Amino acid sequence: MHPIIRLVNRNLTISLNPGFLIWQVIFPLIYIFVAGYAYAPLINDVPFGGKDLDYPAFLASGMIGFNIMNSTLISGILIWNDRRHGMFEQIMSGPFTRSHYILSNICTIGIIGLVSASLIAVVGYPVFFESVEFSFITIPIIIFGAITGSILFGSLASIISTRIHSSEGFNVIINTVFLFFAFVSTAFYPADGAPEPLRTAFYLNPLTYLVDVIRAGIFGTITEFVIIEMIILVGIASVLFVIASKLLTKLDF
Amino acid sequence: MSCINVNHLSKSYGSVSAVDDIVLSVNSGQVFGFLGPNGAGKSTTIKLLTTLIPPSGGSLSVLGVDAVKNPLNVRHKIGVVLQQPSYEPTLTVEKSLDKYGMMWNVPKKIRKKRMEQLLQDFDLVEIRKKRNEDLSIGQRRRVQVAREFMHDMELLFLDEPTVGLDPSARRKLLDYLKNKVKTGLTIFYTTHILSEAEYLCDEIAIIDKGKIIAIDSPNALKSRFGKEKTIKIHLLETQSNISALLSGISDCKINFETGTNIIIHSEQSELVLLQVLKILNENNIQIEDLSAVPTNLEDIFLKMVRENASNN
Repeated sequence: MHPIIRLVNRNLTISLNPGFLIWQVIFPLIYIFVAGYAYAPLINDVPFGGKDLDYPAFLASGMIGFNIMNSTLISGILIWNDRRHGMFEQIMSGPFTRSHYILSNICTIGIIGLVSASLIAVVGYPVFFESVEFSFITIPIIIFGAITGSILFGSLASIISTRIHSSEGFNVIINTVFLFFAFVSTAFYPADGAPEPLRTAFYLNPLTYLVDVIRAGIFGTITEFVIIEMIILVGIASVLFVIASKLLTKLDF
Repeated sequence: MSCINVNHLSKSYGSVSAVDDIVLSVNSGQVFGFLGPNGAGKSTTIKLLTTLIPPSGGSLSVLGVDAVKNPLNVRHKIGVVLQQPSYEPTLTVEKSLDKYGMMWNVPKKIRKKRMEQLLQDFDLVEIRKKRNEDLSIGQRRRVQVAREFMHDMELLFLDEPTVGLDPSARRKLLDYLKNKVKTGLTIFYTTHILSEAEYLCDEIAIIDKGKIIAIDSPNALKSRFGKEKTIKIHLLETQSNISALLSGISDCKINFETGTNIIIHSEQSELVLLQVLKILNENNIQIEDLSAVPTNLEDIFLKMVRENASNN
């Protein structure tokens, strides 16, 4: 078995505990079925890519992107725990290179991101099935979004985990950053109609691009703007991945 | 045949030299002890030998492989138990062993068999279902050492593996290691518990301030550096004039404790003892107990480190 596969196996074993899986499903379920339907009378149809979506459908599709981001927190936690509990040094003294370690983390978050997206897609399907337009183009776009988003946010979490030394600092920073991403994005509400500064802030946030790409994949609304968003997503993910890899390579013992 | 060859190896952090031009060779199938006070450079040397950090200068070959050019090839052949604890908090003891074996690509059937054996050998059967985060420090240490035997290796690096273990677990581990060496394993053993080194090691290197100050077998070190013997005499009654009576004896250092204990340090201990006994006899002073303390590695170690410090 290839070293990266062995490390991915190990990463998945230590990351996927029942608590995490329940949290990954229950949390978005509450959003979709409680907040979605509770806000529906206040929020009329939401325009997206030439379609009018009802709010629960809009929110459920946004929760897929949100959940991908949330699940990639695992990447930071993995690196953090490995450093804190001596496993990083132990693994590096075994039959592995730093590249194996970095790539295994990326594969792990890619898998978790995909599974996470699929779970929410299944759970949220009854909410958005009326507007869904899957095709040979849209499904690969959803998969592309899930993987690119996982790499992007996983790299970000990895960067934070390599720079922060205290567990309190790590928790505070990672939660603050991810809370900002969650709420200053189009995951919960559309950018159209928001005050201009907030709208600008939405588009400084990579989660907005991820959510837009996922939505475009689900509702079959691939526009030029979505393609630009995909390119931006790839660009940011690549830059963050390179930075995370460099920082991981430089971690000393 | 030597399995570790180190030539003029050094490691510096800025202007601080953690390992300074060391030269050593470790023969296969033996336990090589690496001793030194805290901060002497033991762990840095282990990190260099296990390819965790690159050297600043010199060369090192491990199991015939250039460890600077081909670190991964070296790591495939060695096992490492580092000084710091290493564990996955949420895994149970048996899952830890199994996953560690999997990481080393050990087939599932062999993993299962080895795991059961190691659980018994390291007294882990009762805690096999416990999570690592719920274990005591000693239990966690036992799991950490046991885990390393899940995979095959030719050379094992142990950096203070008995830290946190109770005396019985410590002795059990040392005996386990002794048996492993009989099967052909080579062990590079770092400790500052000198009785362990004396019990286990075939050869010993003493490092201080990044430099190796002695390499030899424990017995050879004792005969080279441990000529001074210690004799303890316990008198039946307190003697106020004992210091004056023995003051004329040369070639020795005599300490008096509580008026009844005499401690003699000398390289000519037999001759000095005869003189002391003669004086005590002439003055009708009765002895309750007399013992000669054999020179141990600890005495030699402390002496050498002290001398090294004063030379610098």
